[in-house]
Amino acid sequence: MADGTKFLAPGESYDTARPRAVSRERVGRRRLIDQVARRLVTLGGVTIIASILAILVVISAEVYPLIKPATASPERTITAGLDSTPLAAAVDEYREIAALVTASGVHFVSITDGTESPATPLNGLNSARVVGASPLGSGSFVLGLSDGRVIPAEVKFPVSFPDGRRRVDAELAMQDPITVDPERHPITRPAYASTPNGPVIAAAVSSKELTLVTVTETKPLIGSPVKQESCQRISLPVDGEITALALDGRGEDLFAGTSSGQVARVDLRDPNSPKIAEPVDAAGRVGTGVSALGFLNGDRTLVVGSSSGAVSSWQVLQTAGGDRRLVKIHDFAPHADAVVGFASSRRDKGFVTADASGVVHLHYGTTGQTLLTVKTEGDGVTAVAFAPKADGIIAVNAAGRLSHWTVRNPHPEITWKSLFGKVWYEGYAAPAYVWQSTGGTDDFEAKFSLVPLIYGTLKGTFYALLLAIPLALLGALYASQFMHPTLKGILKPTIEIMAALPSVVLGFLAGLWLAPLVEQVVPGLFLMPLVLTPLILGGVYCWRFVPPALRKRLRHGTEIALLIPIVLFGAWLSFRLGGLVERVLLSGDYRTWLLNVLGLTYDQRNSLVVGFAMGFAVIPIIFTIAEDSLANVPQHLIAGSLALGATRWQTAIRIVLPTASSGIFSGIMIGFGRAVGETMIVLMATGNTPVMNWSIFSGFRALSANIAVELPEAPEGGTLFRVLFLAALLLFAMTFVVNTAAEIVRLRLRRKYQQL
Amino acid sequence: MEPMIEIRKLTLKYGEKVAIEDISLDIPKNQVTAFIGPSGCGKSTLLRCLNRLNDLIDDVSISGTIRIGGIDINDPSLDVTELRKRVGMVFQKSNPFPKTIYDNVAFGPRILGLSGRSDLNGLVEHSLRAAALWDEVSDRLHTSALSLSGGQQQRLCIARALAVDPEVLLMDEPCSALDPIATAKIEELIADLKTRYTIVIVTHNMQQAARVSDYTAFLYLGRLVEYDLTKQLFVKPSKKQTEDYITGRFG
Repeated sequence: MADGTKFLAPGESYDTARPRAVSRERVGRRRLIDQVARRLVTLGGVTIIASILAILVVISAEVYPLIKPATASPERTITAGLDSTPLAAAVDEYREIAALVTASGVHFVSITDGTESPATPLNGLNSARVVGASPLGSGSFVLGLSDGRVIPAEVKFPVSFPDGRRRVDAELAMQDPITVDPERHPITRPAYASTPNGPVIAAAVSSKELTLVTVTETKPLIGSPVKQESCQRISLPVDGEITALALDGRGEDLFAGTSSGQVARVDLRDPNSPKIAEPVDAAGRVGTGVSALGFLNGDRTLVVGSSSGAVSSWQVLQTAGGDRRLVKIHDFAPHADAVVGFASSRRDKGFVTADASGVVHLHYGTTGQTLLTVKTEGDGVTAVAFAPKADGIIAVNAAGRLSHWTVRNPHPEITWKSLFGKVWYEGYAAPAYVWQSTGGTDDFEAKFSLVPLIYGTLKGTFYALLLAIPLALLGALYASQFMHPTLKGILKPTIEIMAALPSVVLGFLAGLWLAPLVEQVVPGLFLMPLVLTPLILGGVYCWRFVPPALRKRLRHGTEIALLIPIVLFGAWLSFRLGGLVERVLLSGDYRTWLLNVLGLTYDQRNSLVVGFAMGFAVIPIIFTIAEDSLANVPQHLIAGSLALGATRWQTAIRIVLPTASSGIFSGIMIGFGRAVGETMIVLMATGNTPVMNWSIFSGFRALSANIAVELPEAPEGGTLFRVLFLAALLLFAMTFVVNTAAEIVRLRLRRKYQQL
Repeated sequence: MEPMIEIRKLTLKYGEKVAIEDISLDIPKNQVTAFIGPSGCGKSTLLRCLNRLNDLIDDVSISGTIRIGGIDINDPSLDVTELRKRVGMVFQKSNPFPKTIYDNVAFGPRILGLSGRSDLNGLVEHSLRAAALWDEVSDRLHTSALSLSGGQQQRLCIARALAVDPEVLLMDEPCSALDPIATAKIEELIADLKTRYTIVIVTHNMQQAARVSDYTAFLYLGRLVEYDLTKQLFVKPSKKQTEDYITGRFG
């Protein structure tokens, strides 16, 4: 016995019998270390949770403005001394000066302090008065005069910075009057388009008659340009009288609204023979007329406002038969009174409508949403203007009272529906899921549907798992149940090293090396399962006839090596057969055959290549986890099954596999999570086209790759920038949901099998 | 005495290590034969030779012959699953599969290709009755086998082994993890079962061997020391070593 040992006397407590070798200081120190370690571990865990939450908060903060509703705050109200009811209005981009069209011409009023600059006298106005104006929003417009003439004009707001301070001026440029109606009817509703060939002017001259003036400018080599005016009269087959006109900026289509609620379209693509299309009922209700017509930015979508207050948007669509038809796209929240004012945004598809009672609505054309309602003080509105930066609304009433609101609506194109639903975009025959964040022109309609990207992510994951799950699981089953331990000792680390391969290397290899290689042997690849399966089964069958004496000489589990030449031969045979099949059955070129017979196009960087590359990345994860859980199935269960006369295969399938199911399941789910979040491989091995089809021969664009592609080009704080953050949040949510669900299922399975 | 199992000059090595050496022994039909001996004497290894469960272990070499019902079980042309169907086994640690009670019992018949619902039902009931478990589980056949108590689990394993209708039942310390009441039930069951089956039981517990077995073999360091009628061996052992062991002088 050691010296420090003391024997307990009867009744003596244990504490005094504590061996002296363990001093009190030592116990104290151990306790201290224990506490410090516990705090450190807790701190680590809390830090991890906190940083994940912080990431979530940062992403959510970037996303939040997308869902913030539009707001409007009233600014100073000005009353301008006008000589008549304002017919139309415009405002500069800094919202300092408003241009108002009245009977005497164009007035400029400072919105900030109410000062007026004298109206620019109109050329050749003589005794006539201004009685109509086409919309001012797009810059150039025409003023309709009471004597049947129109004056093409343009309002400009030049900005200069004298002494470092911003100064906005206003000027009116105008051309000589053009006679539209020789009979000198007043031109109350002129429409104007400045086409590359020259201006086109349309005006209603009687209740059912239009005049169309086409000015063709030809520039001779020497001398001043020659203008040639041609004037046509068009009689419309409509009920009621013409109440509104709109002409698109290309001069292709002229729309006329009537008091009976019809909209007639005149096709002007051939200026010499205008074609009148069948009028469409557009006002929404019998007995109401069209009171306002106008185009959204880009002049593709027509907005119809009715005398009952209904607002709807329309598009000219090519039908299957080749003719063009006016089709309703959206109904917007209606006004309570007749729609009298319309103005569209010049940077997006937003527009405002005003009714006779003074209520102004802000709508968004793409989404069909009415975002905002504001009411003017006093009664009625006769003209509205939407600020060029879409950040303000000006409304004027008959008395010249000018109401002004600052609008905060940075992301009008985003709604749940535009992100996740089908949206009817301009020029599309039907609502569709489209991702196209930028376009070549300023009037481009941004298409932010996340559905094609989610689809792409799921498609890539599907094809990767289609390859990875069978290979990894069967491999794991073989390695854990049948393979010789020595061989397994080599195999498992080798497969685990596969996971350490950087995905950029995999993507690079897949995109530049594998994709061209696969393209050459596609028929052979698809023949491979058909060729290899009988060969392997045949090989195994033949093995049974090998004399037992010879069989015994091979160590148990090493006979698998005999399959290697069979597999190699099978692969070679499939490629040879593939070439043969392509020549004989697929008329020489499988790509043409795919296109002609199945209607599928073959992209070189396609889902098949991604399946291989991403499958390669996912296999080690699934294999390792599945193999661990299969190998951990208690030996006594396997012995129990074998002792009942089950074969090793029956035991593996009926006992080992179900018992290890929780581990296998979590392996698959972790593999799924890896495939969903994988970026470089899908970025480099697919064409990144956001198409939606399940074809294995076409590419896709995944959420993760989309962020990588577009974020460097997204202006900070813009809609695209925030939508990309939303995509990141979505990706996070997808993996979070999948992992959580996997964990729940795994725990449930484990509880079921834990008492082993 | 009609021998069911004839073991002749059996030697088994794990690599170079000799686990069983030169054992010859006849196990009579419809009797209970117990293997006793201290830990590591090779009694479980010997038992596992009888259904060739040692095949699972690498580096095992066997010489000598074992005949069960006159058939050499180490014949390379013999289907080992057929042998294991004829020679059922119950393990030291009860090992029900993580399935329902019903599926546990039906496992053996199913892998042998029986699938008829009514056939299976009858077989499951018959096996559970034979293992004296039917009355306790008949109302919860479709609950997890893992919800049973240890003794019930062990009897379920017996029922599972009986369901494939074996001729021989090997029991490797079937009661070592059970309390005395559960042990008594199993022992009662063994006495019932021997009318139909040849039972070989490995046990650490000499009282148990004395209670349940008709014949007892005493193994020591891989060798068969003495094999005789249980009554004879426990009352008047012919070897000194046996006497020392059963009287508790070592072990």
